[in-house]
Order: sequence, then C-alpha cells, then structure tokens
Amino acid sequence: MATLQEVCSLSAHDKRAWCVAWNPTGTLLASSGGDKLIKVWGKEGDNWVCKSILADAHTRTVRSLGWSPCGNYLASASFDATVAVWSKKGGEFECIATLEGHENEVKAVTWSCTGSLLATCSRDKSVWIWEVTDNEEFECASVLSVHSQDVKHVRWHPHKEVLASCSYDDTLRLFREDNDDWCCFSTLKSHASTVWSLTFDKTGSRIASCSDDKTVKIWQEYEPGNPEGVATKDNEATWKCVCTLGGYHQRTIYDIDWSHVNGDIVTAGGDDTIRVFREDGGSDKNQPSFSLVASVRNAHSQDVNSVMWNPAVEGLLASCSDDGVVKIWKVAEQV
Amino acid sequence: MASNFSGVLQLTDLDDFITPSQECIKPVVIEKKPGTKVGKIRIEGDGSYTEILEGGYETKLEKAKITLNDCLACSGCITSAESVLITQQSQEELYRVLQENKQLIESGRESEAKTVVVSLSPQARASLAAQCNLTMQAAATKLTGFFKRLGVHYVFDTNFARNFSLIESAQEFVRRFYDSETNPKAFPMLASACPGWVCYAEKTHGSYILPYISTTRSPQQVMGALVKDYLASCIGRSGAQVYHVTVMPCFDKKLEASRADFFDDVSQSRDVDCVITSIEVAAMFDKEGVSLADVEDMPIDTQLSHQVNGQLVSHSGGGSGGYLEYIARHAAQELHNSQLQNINYRVCRNQDFKEVLIEAEGKPTLKMAIAYGFRNIQNIVQKIKRKRCDYHFVEIMACPSGCNNGGAQMRPEGEETVKERLSKVEEVYSSQPTLSPVEIADVERLYAEWLGGVGTSKAQAMLHTSYHEVEKMTNALNIKW
Repeated sequence: MATLQEVCSLSAHDKRAWCVAWNPTGTLLASSGGDKLIKVWGKEGDNWVCKSILADAHTRTVRSLGWSPCGNYLASASFDATVAVWSKKGGEFECIATLEGHENEVKAVTWSCTGSLLATCSRDKSVWIWEVTDNEEFECASVLSVHSQDVKHVRWHPHKEVLASCSYDDTLRLFREDNDDWCCFSTLKSHASTVWSLTFDKTGSRIASCSDDKTVKIWQEYEPGNPEGVATKDNEATWKCVCTLGGYHQRTIYDIDWSHVNGDIVTAGGDDTIRVFREDGGSDKNQPSFSLVASVRNAHSQDVNSVMWNPAVEGLLASCSDDGVVKIWKVAEQV
Repeated sequence: MASNFSGVLQLTDLDDFITPSQECIKPVVIEKKPGTKVGKIRIEGDGSYTEILEGGYETKLEKAKITLNDCLACSGCITSAESVLITQQSQEELYRVLQENKQLIESGRESEAKTVVVSLSPQARASLAAQCNLTMQAAATKLTGFFKRLGVHYVFDTNFARNFSLIESAQEFVRRFYDSETNPKAFPMLASACPGWVCYAEKTHGSYILPYISTTRSPQQVMGALVKDYLASCIGRSGAQVYHVTVMPCFDKKLEASRADFFDDVSQSRDVDCVITSIEVAAMFDKEGVSLADVEDMPIDTQLSHQVNGQLVSHSGGGSGGYLEYIARHAAQELHNSQLQNINYRVCRNQDFKEVLIEAEGKPTLKMAIAYGFRNIQNIVQKIKRKRCDYHFVEIMACPSGCNNGGAQMRPEGEETVKERLSKVEEVYSSQPTLSPVEIADVERLYAEWLGGVGTSKAQAMLHTSYHEVEKMTNALNIKW
C-alpha cells in the first residue's frame, strides 16, 4: 500500500481549473481554466510558483493543454472553437498560431511523438490532424468524422503515428495514415457510457480508458499472428478489453494517466477523489489484475477534472478541479 | 442520424442530442389576434391542436412548417433538415407530377399538364454507366428511353449548360485580373459549381470569403435558366408550366436548386424543380422492375445537348467540370497572348491538392490550384483569412476526388472497393469526346439569340448569381451547454 501526500496546493484559477500538463522534462506545470487563462508553474526552492500567465488568446474556457515533445511549444484548446500554439523562446511565451476550423468547443489537443503532428477533437464530433510545416505554420492534414457524438479526448501512441480518440458515443477509435489520408482502423467498444479519457502505457501496446460508466478498462493490442491466438482481421492488430476495474469509483471518471516511469495508473473523477492503481506482481498480460494502492477522498472540494504524472519524477503527479485549485501530490510507499 | 450530404455540410451540423424536429430553432411567425387573453389548447385524437378561446370559439392551430429555404437561411442545423428535403425533392415528387399529368390528359385537360424536362449530369451518367457496364453514350440513350417511357417530354445533357459556366468563369477571371489592381478581394477567385462548398462558406465563413467566390452559376443552374427561360419560350409555355428535373451525383445539389436566388417571382417557378441523384435513379429502376441495360434506347434531345458524330461532348480537365483547365487556357490567351499546350499539375499536400503555374516570359505568372475535400478547403480558407493565399484561381469541390466521387453516386458492390469503383467511373467519364466551349456553334448562337450577346444584362441575370452571409444565431435557443 501507499499514501498520496499533498506536496502543494495552488490557487490557480478564479473559475474551474480544467487541465494540468507537465512539460516533457517535468520541470514546468501548465494549468488552464474557465478564467480563459493558462498559467505556467515552476519550482523555486521548495515552492511551486507561477512563472507566466498566458492571456488574451482565447475568449472562452481553456479546456486542454499539450506540450510538444521538445518542450518549446504549448498548444491550448478552448471552448471558443480555436487552438492556440505558444512558442517558448527565452522563457517568454508568444502565441505564434491560432488554429481555426472546429465548429464549436475544442475538447483536447495533443502532439505526436515526433512533434510534427497535432491532433484536436471537438463537440462537433470531429477529430482533426494538423501538420506542422517548416516555418511554424499548421496545415490541416485530415478531418475525421467517424464518431457519432462529442469527442472528449485524443492521445497519440508513445512511439508511432497512431492516434486514439474517445467519445460521448461510448467508443474509442484508433487512426493511422493510409495512402493519402488518415483513416480509422479500429473501434474499441465495451464501455456502457461516455468515454472521457484514455492513456497509453509506456510500450503503446496497452490503453487504459475511463468512463461515465464508473469503470476503467484496460485494452491489450494483439498483433496478427500473436501467440495467444487472438483472431485478427485484414492483417490489422486487434485491441481487446482484458480488464475492467469496477466498484472503486462512485461517480464519473473524468481523467486517467498511465505513468511511463513506473507503470502506475492515476484516475480523477466526479467523486472528488484521486486514486492510484498498480498492476499486481505476476499479473497475466492477457488477464491482468490491478489493485488500488492509494487514494485521497476529498482531494479537491469539487470534481477533479485532470490528472497527470510527472514524466521525470517517480510518483509525482498534478491534479486540478472545479474548485479552481491545482495540487501536486507524491505517492509515498508504506513499507 | 445518418446523413447523405457531403462531409463539409455534415460538419456544420450541431449535435443531435435531440431529434431534428425538436432541435429546429427557426423562429416561427405567429399571427397574434388582438383582444384574446389566455386560451386553452386541446390535443385532438389525431394529434392536431385546437385552440379554445374565451366564449368557446374553437380554431384549429396550424402546424409550423419549415421549408428547405428556411433551413438554408438558418445557421442552426443543416443536415438535420433531410426530412424536409425528402418531401420536396425526390423521385416520389417526379412520380407525382407524371401521375398528375396522366390524369389531366385522361380527363381531357391536356393543356394543364406540365412539360417535364430531365437534365442528366455527366457524372451521374458515368456512375450509372459504370454500374450497368454501359458506355457513356449508351447510358444517355437508355436513360432517355427510361424517362420518356415514364412520360418525360425532353431529356438533355448538362454538359451543354457547362459550356456557359466555363465561358462565364473564364471571362470573370480576366475581369478580376484587371480589377485586381484596385480590388484586394479579386483573387483568389474560387470556383462556385459545388453547392456543398458554397453553403459551407456562407454558413461558417460569412462575409469575408464570399467576395472571392465566382458569381458564375453552376451547370445545373445554367441548365435551369436554359430550360425555364429559353426552352419554355421556344415551346410557348411559361416557366411554371415546365417541370424541370436534374439528375446529379450529390445530395447538396438539392440545396442549390432550393435557393431563393433561383426562384423566379414573375413565373412563380424554380429553375430546377427537383433534383434526383444517381442512387435515386437506380431506385426508380427497381421500382419499375427494369435494368438500365435492357431499356430500349431513345435519342437524347438536341435542343439543349451537343453531339458530334452521335456522341455527346464534354470538357477536358477532369470529372469536376474542368474549370481550372479552361480558365488557365483562356487566361493564357487573353493575358499572356499564348496558347497553352500541356497543363502540368504538381501534387502538393495530397492527391486532392494540386498546383498549376502558367508562366510566360515578361508576363505575370498565374498560379492556380485544385483543392478537393474538406481538409484542403480548410487550408485554402485559412490561408485567405491570413492573407497568405497567392493563388489566382482555386477549383474547390467539397468531395474528396471531386464530383465523380459525389455522395449520391452508386456504391461499389461485392468485393469491389470504393477506389476501384471510382476509377471505373472516372474511366467511363473520361471516355467522352471533348470540345472547347467556344467551338460549339449552338452556344454562340444562344448567346446571340437568347441573351442578346456576351456580357448583356440578360446574360448576367441568366448566368450569374449572388451569395449571402448567414449570420450566426445569437438566439438563446441556439446555446447548448
């Protein structure tokens, strides 16, 4: 077992805090909220302090943030239907591009592993893929209208140019480039309600998703010709739900993140609780088992909207909530 | 709800949490009667509503009717309006008119019957030809035989109307070139033949993109003018006495035909009364229990169709009309004083985005592009918005691969892939002989005879149109949480 210890609590936003995002080296934490602001936090001594405030790019709530793999760019997605791209040159953030095209609220933004592609999704049911050109311009490479409802989240595969999305239509979809355009090559169905978020493990062969059905599901990729004998079609890998974590969450689970440092999974939800799950020792890949190793009730005074593991420091994570507060936590192991 | 419209229009839809009829936010004008206070409404057994006024007076309340035109003028849903379309523009409506005609003739009121005209687009014809393994010409004569046996009076080829669209587009391009010194919105000129693109531009990009769109009517709407104005007067009938049907490769053409700009107040008639698509024509074959290949041929009518050696002629430059190619040739001639030989397309971002440079020594280089499909439309629109679009002309079409891949074309069958079917349709389409629009004597004659010459006010009225910004609703009903 372990405990989650609060490292610090930051009164970050006057309205709801919607997203927290660590930069790739884990030295900076960006947060965004209903106050239309983006704040970038850094450590000074033992304290986390606000280093920059990014304002005036959005006219409505800033819902989601994404750092480029190089850490020099931050993308922000807003309910104002636009995405802004900020360049961090000499410590100062400058808005270098505004991506327009979504019909209404943009729900998530994320960079691919190479940093050459950006993906966004919206309440307009579409997923867009943008290509970063040499001169810092962004061109639309594809518009994917395969979800039948609001698309809640998009995440890239950790090493490949494969994109995953999840939606109010209860499904997850996987996309990759095929000839001249992007296409959906797999649909993951098992959740009984809105899938709010998803996360890849370090290898990219597993996905964890969280839903309004109060469960977390673990999906395993089976390549064609897999030794387990899981059937594949059209020489395409099959994604199978191999584990459902039910009974832990009392309300909707809004966000989930799989640590690439130690493999722990953290969830955040409408029951104001943050939970950490760990795969059991000797767990079978095809029927894995996970245990709840730490949780904090009333981690925030309202819904917890976003959680993310620090990509460098083991056991360090950030969360934010409708209460406007951003918190940093540390998983402390109990011997 | 599955929608048949092009992807561009589907994207402008809002979420369908509630069904379209409930979702419609179009304000309805209510005639208020003075003096009445609070009344009661009774729901009748048949679902109708009766208002009971003070003193027991009863009036049956009318249903609020939403027409397709209301939908076009509204920034709310668009694709959800499909049920509206189905009643106004479908093969059922054509059957209804033909049935009415039959009854009028049987009861000796022949003069009240409508003259029914069907205009076939070459893309729809190619799709049906590929489906039934026919040549383009055989598809034309068999479709003519099919429609005439149902009671249609004339069948024409919209390739003919496209001659006018191409000539007018090219002249508009040259005009814009000379205007460009003083008019910053002269270029890029954007093609106007695709109604999915035009509707999207009006609804989402409003006033800043509309001046760039060519004012030239699409072939469908030029055909409308030819049929309702020229043909009607030739045969001594009014526009309202002629029922004009077009056969098209996409559903968005129904929206175009329904635009208020193409309704003539004087004759109270639309240039195109009804649009039926390739798949709807195939549904008609099923209903009649025939296969197109077995239908007896009849020659297509030549008043508004052009044939050379018994073959209908089309235009070079691809399945979406060849706008770029004709404008490039005309512009080279007018502005560079040179004859363009080959047109070299450079594939840019993807196969649906190609560039053409028209260069001549000592003359300004003309830069043109083909941009099909929503992603490429996005990049063009955003470039224009950021004033970084250096093209002079862009042939924009909403569908990836252009009109032969229209949303209402026949689907592949069995093992056949979408790609295989498309290349078959493109092959059939490109088997048509081609001619430059200015080489067709009938076109020149009609400019003189019908329009009183090139560039006259009649030519402007018959061959051009205008676009209207659809203002975003600020109505509280439109806000979704």
